[in-house]
Amino acid sequence: MTDTVIEVENLVKEFGSGRHASRVLDEVGFTVNRGETVGLVGESGSGKSTTARCILRLIEPTSGVIRFEGEDVLSFGRRKTKEYRARAQMVFQDPYSSLDPRMCVEDIIAEGIQIHRPKEKRAKVRDEIAELLELVGLRPDHLPRRPAAFSGGERQRIGIARALAVRPSLLICDEPVASLDVSIQAQILNLFVDLKSRLGLTMIYIAHDLATVRHLCDRIVVMQGGKIKEIGSREQIYGAPHDPYTIALMQAVPEPDPMLARERSAQRRLAAATAAKSGAAT
Amino acid sequence: MTTAITDGAQPQTSDTAAALLKVEDLTISFQSPSGLVHAVNGLDLTVTPRERVAIVGESGSGKSVTAQALLGLLPTATISGRIEFDGRDVLTMPAAELRALRGAEMSYVFQDPLSSLDPVRTIGDQVCQPLRIRGVGRKEAKARALDMLGAVGIPNPDRRYGDYAHQFSGGMRQRVMIAMALIAQPRLVIADEPTTALDVRVQAKIVDLLYALTEERGVAVVFITHDLGVVAGFADRVMVMYAGRVMESCATEELYYRSINPYTLGLLQSLPRVTGAIPEKLATIGGRPPSPSDLPSGCAFHPRCRYAKDICATEAPALLTPPNGTHPSACHFAGLLAEEPGVLR
Repeated sequence: MTDTVIEVENLVKEFGSGRHASRVLDEVGFTVNRGETVGLVGESGSGKSTTARCILRLIEPTSGVIRFEGEDVLSFGRRKTKEYRARAQMVFQDPYSSLDPRMCVEDIIAEGIQIHRPKEKRAKVRDEIAELLELVGLRPDHLPRRPAAFSGGERQRIGIARALAVRPSLLICDEPVASLDVSIQAQILNLFVDLKSRLGLTMIYIAHDLATVRHLCDRIVVMQGGKIKEIGSREQIYGAPHDPYTIALMQAVPEPDPMLARERSAQRRLAAATAAKSGAAT
Repeated sequence: MTTAITDGAQPQTSDTAAALLKVEDLTISFQSPSGLVHAVNGLDLTVTPRERVAIVGESGSGKSVTAQALLGLLPTATISGRIEFDGRDVLTMPAAELRALRGAEMSYVFQDPLSSLDPVRTIGDQVCQPLRIRGVGRKEAKARALDMLGAVGIPNPDRRYGDYAHQFSGGMRQRVMIAMALIAQPRLVIADEPTTALDVRVQAKIVDLLYALTEERGVAVVFITHDLGVVAGFADRVMVMYAGRVMESCATEELYYRSINPYTLGLLQSLPRVTGAIPEKLATIGGRPPSPSDLPSGCAFHPRCRYAKDICATEAPALLTPPNGTHPSACHFAGLLAEEPGVLR
């Protein structure tokens, strides 16, 4: 039997109620095995971030089941939820708004350890933080500085160190490279690949494009409008995608080979012209 | 308003006839509390009619500032050099002439359509405006605006005409912005990261739309972006900027297949792709782009460059074509790279 970390079944989330209810997650289900990285891919409104928030219980789903290492997450009381927060952590999209501007790096990283392991010796915490810094590629002299002194990529490294500090068994990353410069995106993606092999991390990686996901994820879940369109291994999704939506997403990825890019653009324009003629409005 | 702008009497000599936009030695700096900040340093750019040029750079490269300077949108900056549109100097032009130029001959598509559209005026009203302020009658302006909204792919333009910006999705808002930019039939559109805030499928559609419309109408485009992937299928020519300087400038194929600049090559190799072999690790450029207020000495890229030698820290390389090369690159070792273009050893 494979070791399953997360099991999501029939997850439904509705905002509003009665006639005005809008269903943003519709019967979503997938699993994440230990050591595996699963990509949740979709455009805005696809429900990918809502799914992540439900898994971490940052919002309450309307119905459905979420199991973490076999335990029913939605039945957790206060104490169990707090414990759960140490085992499942999140790296947020925006490295500017997700770090407290008044705290120094050391306090930001130490906060989680102090909350979840209050009896830990100070020297031990220091050592752990030094290790984490090295792991995410920051220097010890960064510790007394505040977030404002760092670039977007470095802030994202701080966010990753903060998440790892409590030794989670699951890391959820919500578009962690979307707001970074191109040359920095690759650095952070490589850091995730590195962490994966060094720590055997289990990850859910959320992205709006299929290109970054390909470098990191073992399996991919494609979502649209709150529904899962396709789940497959990396080889299957990129080698032989079968859902039309997956194919459309794939064709829209910016292609840096000019000849290929022109071909694709011509194909898209032709498809759009045909659709316009048949009266379909997009 | 001067009438000489809108009629066909343009001063043309055989020398400038080929260039629609000619920028020479453009230098832009800003006064800041910590001293003078050099945002752009000695930039040359020529755009011919109907040409599509992409300017690619990361944050702080000076790409957006350059775009804004072209339309005279930087009143507080210190600008030197020349910006000529159709033989007329944009930098020394009287304000009235500049206003007449904007929209009618050279227009701008902003990055964020929500904050660039007026939230309390209808879309139709705003699309009409470039025509109305040029004295086109209300009825005719509306008819042309409806045509234009249809052309940019807004379904049922007559029903959406009276709607407000918040009633449109991000992609539709960007279509409205493109309609506004094209309605007065300019000869040059400057699009500043027009797709950055959009989903991938919408992004592809907007780039395709811009391509089709400008092709049909014979409009030249300067497309500003941080992503080399977005413009590969769009641009005829690409200019890569770093820390306020042009690093490499050439035809699109040349750049993507035969680059001779370490920064361009680094950018290209660090792009994640959906095709081809999956590398164990993406090639990266170490460090981070410098702040314009604190530029490294010599070649601004040298602290991040794997080729850097002593000379790079002391002397800024000029944008020159090496003897064995086919296009200019600002690198002391462009000649070495030209032995095997497109490959970083």
